[in-house]
Order: sequence, then structure tokens, then C-alpha cells
Amino acid sequence: MSLRKGKNYPYGIHVPDKKALTANAVIEKMPAPKKVYLSMSQHIGAPAIPVVNVGDKVNKRQLIGEASGAISANVYSSICGTVTAIEDIVTGNGQKMKYVVIENDGRTDEIFFDQIKDFEPDTIIERIRLAGIVGLGGAGFPTAVKLKPATKLNALIINGAECEPYLTCDYRLMIENTEDIYRGIKYAARALGINRIIIGIEANKPNAIKAFEKYPDLEVVVLKKQYPMGSEKHLIYCTTGRKVPCGKMPFDVGVCVQNIKTMIAVKHAIEDNKALSSTVLTVSGEGINTPKNLRVQLGTPLEDIIAYCGGAKEGVTKVIAGGPMMGKGLISLTSYTRKTDSGFLFLTEGETSLKSSTNCINCGMCAKNCPMRLMPMYIESFAIAGDYLGAEKYGAMNCIECGSCAYNCPAKRSLVQSIQSAKFHIKEMKKNGK
Amino acid sequence: MANSILAYSSSPHVKNPKTTKSIMIDVCIALLPACVMGVVYFGLKALLILVLAVLSAVASEFIYQLICGKKFNQITKDFDFSSCVTGLLLGMVLGAQSPWYVPVLGSAFAIIVVKMLFGGTGKNLVNPAITGRIFVFMSFTAILTSGWVLPKIGLIGGGNAMVNPETGATILTNTFDAEYGHLLSVSNLDLFLGTGIVGCIGETCKLALLVGAIYLAIKGVINIIYPLIYVAVCGLTSVALAGFDFSWFLPSILSGGLILGAFFMATDYVTTPNTTLGNVIYFILLGLLTAGLRFATKIEVVSFVILLGNLVVPLIDKFIINKPFGALKKAKKKGA
Repeated sequence: MSLRKGKNYPYGIHVPDKKALTANAVIEKMPAPKKVYLSMSQHIGAPAIPVVNVGDKVNKRQLIGEASGAISANVYSSICGTVTAIEDIVTGNGQKMKYVVIENDGRTDEIFFDQIKDFEPDTIIERIRLAGIVGLGGAGFPTAVKLKPATKLNALIINGAECEPYLTCDYRLMIENTEDIYRGIKYAARALGINRIIIGIEANKPNAIKAFEKYPDLEVVVLKKQYPMGSEKHLIYCTTGRKVPCGKMPFDVGVCVQNIKTMIAVKHAIEDNKALSSTVLTVSGEGINTPKNLRVQLGTPLEDIIAYCGGAKEGVTKVIAGGPMMGKGLISLTSYTRKTDSGFLFLTEGETSLKSSTNCINCGMCAKNCPMRLMPMYIESFAIAGDYLGAEKYGAMNCIECGSCAYNCPAKRSLVQSIQSAKFHIKEMKKNGK
Repeated sequence: MANSILAYSSSPHVKNPKTTKSIMIDVCIALLPACVMGVVYFGLKALLILVLAVLSAVASEFIYQLICGKKFNQITKDFDFSSCVTGLLLGMVLGAQSPWYVPVLGSAFAIIVVKMLFGGTGKNLVNPAITGRIFVFMSFTAILTSGWVLPKIGLIGGGNAMVNPETGATILTNTFDAEYGHLLSVSNLDLFLGTGIVGCIGETCKLALLVGAIYLAIKGVINIIYPLIYVAVCGLTSVALAGFDFSWFLPSILSGGLILGAFFMATDYVTTPNTTLGNVIYFILLGLLTAGLRFATKIEVVSFVILLGNLVVPLIDKFIINKPFGALKKAKKKGA
């Protein structure tokens, strides 16, 4: 009911949003594929441990991978079928991970959890943990852990910014599944014991804003269309005015940030007794024949998704898992849908940039636009020179890798890559006790 | 598509189409109006000087890279037009009476010594065009500061231009040679348009320079606030030095190479600070130094001041750094 404008934050960039490709594409349910490849590591933290064997018959939503530690998550089968392999596969993003391969046998048997008796915070959190729900915005942090903060919080912020270009899955969910999101939010708020619920939505999604206006207990905050508005720290600042100190987490300023898709998964786990077994993706870019928003079963091969979207066009130069600003490039099409995927983009040469980098001309665009107020050009030169202490002194660890610097760099320098490398080495140094 | 090889790189996967090359081309375009006016005022000799300066700059860059063992095709592919900017700027700050070897030597010095020896585009410590100009002025002082060509269009704002083409220097020298409080009767309109004023090819028509500067500002190449700070500080300091005589304001900003220097030379990315605060300090410093040194020396100092300013930039950048978003007030604590 309460609708207000978000605080202005002066640093950030404007990227053509390209959302028109799929903004009006109603979410389609993609039929279950012949085979699914379920990664045991679809989240941050320890990989799940397979609890099925090759040859086992499994039902839909049957536990196949068990969380192995506090920061880990369960993995459930997304189809009915037979486990044909449990193997390490190197996928398109270059990572080698353990996969459970299940061949579809066409049955439709599903396993459900028992109906929850009471809606106490601990019951809700336990169900969320059991259902294998993680932050579906991309980070993949187990949601149950996030809902049990060490300190008392006073605001729950729902991230409806979706500032990445091309992606429209959150937008479609906000207008098609508003009630589910609302119910999920209420459970999350209940688990946290919070009354104040804020939902931040970028101004370029008026329909989504309208959809949430009808709930009297939600504070809808209209955010300026600016990249990276969906960054946790900037979302918190623009919706509440609080600044998360460097090296601290949102709970240090009394807030918890949750993603749209995660809230739907929470609703399904608690009311419908369903474990997390599917996700919603945007398949877009000039390089795909029919861009779509799809609900796909986890583990669906990328090639099946391409075929369902009418195939890819000639001239695709880059395939990306995620958004174009922060998503990971794929070296091959050997890729399987994971919980944290928000889209697959097929970019043609005209859309992406393949220019090689030239000398830095010291224009200062990177520093001018950096939403974290860092000086990427210095961090980059420190990283290239191998002076990681220098990089740390200039705040490399605060980098959120949003890509605003490299987006505007006229010399097309790989600033994000250099900073990522600096961060990696700084962490290594810390680990080795230097 | 299945057989095609996918390109792989780190994020972000979309980028702003602006490149170093496109920026340099924009700067060349922005300089053109002033060059055209220079040719209109000072004739085809001016055009020859501009062309020689640009050709020499580009040739120097190519020859240097060929000697360094770079393939000709690669040099052409990597050509970013920054040497065109340097050549154009150098030609614009020479008088039309300059002999042919002056722009040639000046450009060669600017490109080879000031830019390429330090590592090419982006690596130079000081602005190549300005240093090239200082190099030729030091080397050929007598030729370059006398025998000015009178413009083809005379004064249109009334008054008398007390300029002796044989010995006299620019209008600026005359202005400041005069007693405090006593200005030459050249109208501000003539100073603004460059009509009837002797001077360097690209410096006299302020209107054309401002048109170019506005183009750059619209294109997002320069932040127009910074050069305006420079010009305003310079004008106000002159006013203060003249005993708060505000009639000094316009002549001091419209004469000499201030407009060209402020909008096109001082704003060179390579030799400006990287932070907003650093830039403000830098441009205020330039304004103060320009006005102060003009009064002290009675000669045109803009190029020397910018050179000096360039050398201070690393110092400004060392001490003025952005504070990260959410930086703690006391000692910064990072990571775990």
C-alpha cells in the first residue's frame, strides 16, 4: 500500500536494458527432458553427497543429494526415472562437478513433504532447509542459514530490481505469481520475526509495481532504473538509507535481503510441500530464434532448452549463463540448469564486445562510475604487477564485480577479470597467514 | 551453431561502444571548427602548417613502431587517432608565419620523445602537444614570436589593435604590458571572434573553440565543468590582481591560448587526475597559476602552466583517492 521512491544513489551506469525481447513472454512450462544432469553443487558451500546409486529408480522430488554441513543444500530429483550415472563432468563454465544423471521413464509419481502442523519460525526454517532452497538470485547461499541471523533484524528487503539487461524472469514472476511471492515473503518474515517488509522494484517495471501495491503490509519502493540497483548493498541503501560497512554483511545493519524466486520456492515448500526441483529462466539474446521465459526442471541440458526455443541462429558468438553484466561465459554448450541460473543468453557479435584491450588512457571513467567508489584502474595495475597488497590497499576486496567499470572502459580493459584475480590472491595470502 | 566456437571472456559481456579511437576521432571533429577559422583568418599557409603537423605526428608514430618491430598491418589496425589530435593541437598553437620545419619537428618531438618513449598512448606523463609547442618555442623563439600574419578579417568591434606584426606579440602581451587598469581598446567581441587579432592559427577564434567544446561535452568526452572552473578561476584571479577591476575579466579569459588550453589541452585524459575532487583541485591550480604567472611575466603562460600542472597530477592522484562505499570512519577494516 505504501508506495515511495527510493533514495538516489549517484554512482552507477545506464545500460540498454534489452528486456523488450522477453518482457511480454508469458512463462512457459518446458516439458521434462529425456535426461537430467543434477549437479551436487548448485549452491555456495560444501557439495551435496549423492544418496542414490546407479540403477536406482527415483521419483520426482526424491532426495538424491544430501547437504553435507551447515552451509550446503539438499538436491532433489526433478523427474521420475533411473539413475544412469554418477560422474564428474566438466561443464561449459569450466568447472568440474559431480553430477547425478537420471533418465526419464515417463512416470509422473511425485514425492511430497508432510503437511506442516504449526507455522513457528523454527518449523518454517527447517522446512526451507529440507527443501534445498538457496538464494536463487545467483549467489546460491542456503536460505535457511540466512533466515537464522545472529543478531535481531528489523527489515526484510525483497530484491525485485532485476537490473541485469535481458533478464525478465523475475519481472514475469512478479506479475504472474504475485500471490505466491507475497505468501513466501510472509513466511520468510515470520521466520525472521520481522514486521517491516520492503520490496524494491526498478521504475522500468510499472506492472510489477502495480501488482504489489495492493498488499497493505508491503512497502513498495520504486527504484531508479540504474545498474547495479540489484546489488545487495545498493538495494539496502536505496530502500532504507542504511550503508553496509565495508567487509560487513546486510545483517550488520539489521536487514535480510531475499530474491523473488526464492520467495516462490519458500511458498511451494511450506504450503504445497514441494522440494525445489525447477526454476524459471529467461532465454534471450539476438542469437536465439524465439526468446522465452521458461519454467524448466533442474538439470535440463542447455541443448534441450535451445531446441525448445526454436534453435540458435547462425552468428552466435557468445553464450552466457546469467545476465550480460555479471553472468559467466560458456565455452561449450555442455551445461545443465542449476538452481542459481537466471537465464541463458545467446549474443551475436553485434551485441557483445570482442574488442581487444588497449593501453589505459587514464580517463577515470571506471572510478567515476564504480558503485562501490573504488579506483579500478589502480587495482588493475596492481593486479597485473602482482602487488596484491597494493590492490588490497585500494579496496579490491570491496569490489562486487558488477562490471560497471569494464562496461564503460574505452580501452576495453578486462578490469573485472584483473580485480577477480587480485581478490583470489589476497584471499590466498590471508589463508596462508601472510 | 553446434560446430561454431564460442568466444569466451570475463564479464561484462556487453560494453559501451565508445573506444579510445572513437573518443580521439570526436576530439579531432571538435577541433575542426577552430582549424577552419584559422585557415579563414590566416590563409592557406595556416592549412599547410596544420597538415604538416598532423602528417608528421602520424608518420612519427608509424616509423617509431616500425623500428620497434611492429608489423605495418598491426600498426594500421591499432591506429587510434591520438597522434592526429596531438598533431592538430600542435599546428593550432603555432603562428601562421612558422616555417615548414617547425610543425614537422614539433610533432615528431611530441610523438616520439613525449609519447612513444614512455610507452605510447596513455603512458605519457605530460601532454605531448603542449610539450611539443614548448620545444619549438624554446628552439625557434625569434621566428615564432615575431612576424605575425595579420588576419584577413579586420576588427569589427571598433577600437584600435595596437599590434605591430613585426615585433609585437599577441594581443595578450600588449594587454598586460599596459599599466594596471588601462586596457587596450580592443573590443571583447573581437577577442571572442578573433577578428583583427594576431595569434596562433587555432587560438584566436574562441567561438569556434567553444562550439567544439560543447560538441565534446554533449558526446560525453569531457566534463565541461572542469575547464569552466579553470577559465573562471583565471578570470577572477586576474580581476583580483588588477585591484578588483572587473573590466579585466573578459579580456583575460578571451586573450591568449586560455580557451584552447583549458578546453582541449588541460582536459586530456592521460594527464588529468582520476577523481572528481582531484580534478577540481587541478583546474583551480591551473587557473591560479595562469593568472599569477601572466601578471608576473607578461607573456603567455598557458602551455607552461599546463605542463607544470601535468607534473603535479601524479601527486594529486597519490593523495586523493575515492573512499569506498561504506568505508568505516576510523581505520579501514577489511575482509575476515
